[in-house]
Amino acid sequence: MVRIRFRYVAPAIALLLAAIGGACSSEIAVNGSCAIDSDPALACGLAADGTFDASLGLVGYSCTGKARPDEQAMYNEGVPSGIMCADRGPVGSDGKQGYCCTTAATQCAYDPVSDCEQPTYGYQCYGANRPESVNTAIFCGQGVKEGDYINYCCSGKQQPDGCLQSDSVRCSPRLSGWSCTGQNHPRAEQLGANKSRADTYHLLCPVPVPAANPAYNNYCCYPAALVPIGGSCVEHRGVPGCASGRFGFACYGPDKPQENYLPMRCTEPGFPGRSAEGYPATLYCCDFT
Amino acid sequence: MSPLERLLRVARDFWVATFFLLFVPACGGPAIAEWTYVCGTAPLSAKAAQAPGVCGAGDPNLPPEPTFPTDICQELTSNKSFPDENNLDSARIQAALTGCKGRTVKLVSNGHNNAFIAGHLNIDSVILWVDAGTTLFASLNAELYQKTGSCGVPGINDSGACNDFITMSGTRPGIVGDGIIDGQAGEPLVGHDYSWWQLSGALREINGSIGNPTLINTASNTTGVLLYRITLHDPPKFHVKLTSVPPNGICERKGDGYIVWGITILTPRRYINSQGLFMTPHFARNTDGVDPGSTDIATCGVIACNTISTSDDQIAIKGGHWVSDLIIAHNHFGTGHGMSIGSETYGTYISPDGKQHRGVEDVLVYDLTIDGDSRAVGHDSSSADSNGIRVKSDPSRGGLVTNITFRDVCMRDQANAILVSTAYNPLFPGNLIPEFGTLNFENVRHVTCMELKQPVVTLEGYSARSRAGPIKLDNVVIDNMGPQAVAAEFADIRLGPGRTNFVPSGTGVVVTNEMTGNGPAKECVFPKLPAPELPPDWLR
Repeated sequence: MVRIRFRYVAPAIALLLAAIGGACSSEIAVNGSCAIDSDPALACGLAADGTFDASLGLVGYSCTGKARPDEQAMYNEGVPSGIMCADRGPVGSDGKQGYCCTTAATQCAYDPVSDCEQPTYGYQCYGANRPESVNTAIFCGQGVKEGDYINYCCSGKQQPDGCLQSDSVRCSPRLSGWSCTGQNHPRAEQLGANKSRADTYHLLCPVPVPAANPAYNNYCCYPAALVPIGGSCVEHRGVPGCASGRFGFACYGPDKPQENYLPMRCTEPGFPGRSAEGYPATLYCCDFT
Repeated sequence: MSPLERLLRVARDFWVATFFLLFVPACGGPAIAEWTYVCGTAPLSAKAAQAPGVCGAGDPNLPPEPTFPTDICQELTSNKSFPDENNLDSARIQAALTGCKGRTVKLVSNGHNNAFIAGHLNIDSVILWVDAGTTLFASLNAELYQKTGSCGVPGINDSGACNDFITMSGTRPGIVGDGIIDGQAGEPLVGHDYSWWQLSGALREINGSIGNPTLINTASNTTGVLLYRITLHDPPKFHVKLTSVPPNGICERKGDGYIVWGITILTPRRYINSQGLFMTPHFARNTDGVDPGSTDIATCGVIACNTISTSDDQIAIKGGHWVSDLIIAHNHFGTGHGMSIGSETYGTYISPDGKQHRGVEDVLVYDLTIDGDSRAVGHDSSSADSNGIRVKSDPSRGGLVTNITFRDVCMRDQANAILVSTAYNPLFPGNLIPEFGTLNFENVRHVTCMELKQPVVTLEGYSARSRAGPIKLDNVVIDNMGPQAVAAEFADIRLGPGRTNFVPSGTGVVVTNEMTGNGPAKECVFPKLPAPELPPDWLR
């Protein structure tokens, strides 16, 4: 039975790879090109015992310039379709970048304009499968819903968290303590499986409190409920004069933070300023009650 | 849209569906598929749920049916006919429970006075008996359950905010009787114009977990829990979270760890609350029926002869710690999200003998009906509200699920007849990869009566590296399946020896077809289940 199946699958895979390879080498030559690469250094499609496992459906690529093997993704009647690749870093001595990609198209499309932070890159996916299900070499962070799609930031290497939930950060029982390096901000995906989670990406956090170790900031955060429809206030940790441990907000409309985030108490009047994104807004400094 | 308009819409849909299904093919229209319409209900037979001394009798897998206790320590008599928040019974009930360890406290009515109302109660090594005709109401004062300061507070997603209504602990605690425990969760909280369920509903869009009180919870290290014949309504969150093991730690006979026998769960219990709001199953979010393993390990259990109609999983076996040696037999389900396992399956536990245990192991489910037509569900219900058998997890909370058997199961009008999914919530990443091992489906039938959508079967492992299976399908017949109605990937599936009327296919799917017979599909009869009484001006 396996032989019969492979008899049909193998040529199909070969055709698909040929098509992809051809596209990479001819159509995107301006930015570079990609070609299938069986370099073992790519560690692509290896089983636990180190042998090649065709059932994983992965193949190695190396690319010159800025080309990627997955940038030819399409949308068919709204459903993304493209191969998905885990970056493997430089391959060989000629500056090529290596990738480990799916042999078959997935329901994810590489997103060249995602807002993922380096070194991660974005995919927009349809359906319930996480990217790791179809490409076992990839690591992706928490998905963010966008209509029928889920956007992921992914990489060929698991990225360090940047924040750790910590009971040593003293907070009220209603808030969870976090310790973060640099400008990292606590994310819901960093909550443990037994913690109160929601699908929101970022937790609502106050202006950070510098930790004893200057490399770290401490936060006391909570997973906020959904902002009501029409709510315009967004978190802003840079509100001038808002002390550490208090919650800063920028409101684009006439609503106030306590109308959007019910546990907030905002006794001081708002004042004009700019949001963290640089747009004119009314700024508030509030307290969690 | 008014409640009457909603009901009219439901009724209209029903008659349109009935007309279309029954008469269009007969008049020469295109026959959709070959199947038998299985509508109507049979009387709840003596053999079925709640027939004392009959249900489960002679079943060699089960212990003898429990009996009511004879050693009554204190009998408390009701002094009110309604749940009066200004006249709570917390203190006297708790005092009796505390003073009667090892014995029984009985709540009884006195004529029209048939109500008790209380805040948080501890049942530590004692049995609470709620007598027939008597109701114990959970107070609607959120401050009585306050734990972190966020209990009853809108706009915050804090699943640990409240204490339970009832916490069971110690040795052989129990709740028995033909009375009722009512969480009143559709009614407005004291001092507020919103209910527990509205607090939870406000977090629906972000899939948040409200910290509402659990109606009945069990503490870690509890042994020999008993729930017998009690009726449960309208919990703020889950109905029953079970954590219990045999007193001596050894599972000599199933039921040594815990027994849930002959209980009735009906939530919501009314179609309309005191504010005139429509109470649909969809509205009563996060109201699982019985969840073994939620708080800590649960082993050696029996859940038998119960009827459960709710708004979330009728039963959800939670493997966040470890659940094993569980028999679920002779139960009837109405509305709900399914006879489920998961989504937490990541638990590990090292027993005193040094052996490591994981997730959910060794569960036998048999003689089960799941009826999507037991009551009107309202226009706001969705496909996700209607599941038959469900095994669910994802890489943020996955672990081992194996040696699970579903045998002699009848389902009617479920959107998802069988749902084995490793992508319960695809948003969260993690390294807790679901490991779905041996899942047996034997003599399983799904029938159609009035549902317009065709049922779906999903059998999905996680990836090419983490496959599900073997998933064995032996005489599994899903009537009215469409050609696209089976989704499968990364799974090893074995068909046979009994006939199964579909062949799964998909990425990474390996099917071993060992079907030898073409015997009849399982015959299905659905008993009439408890349902909310229709308001007087509604169509019948």
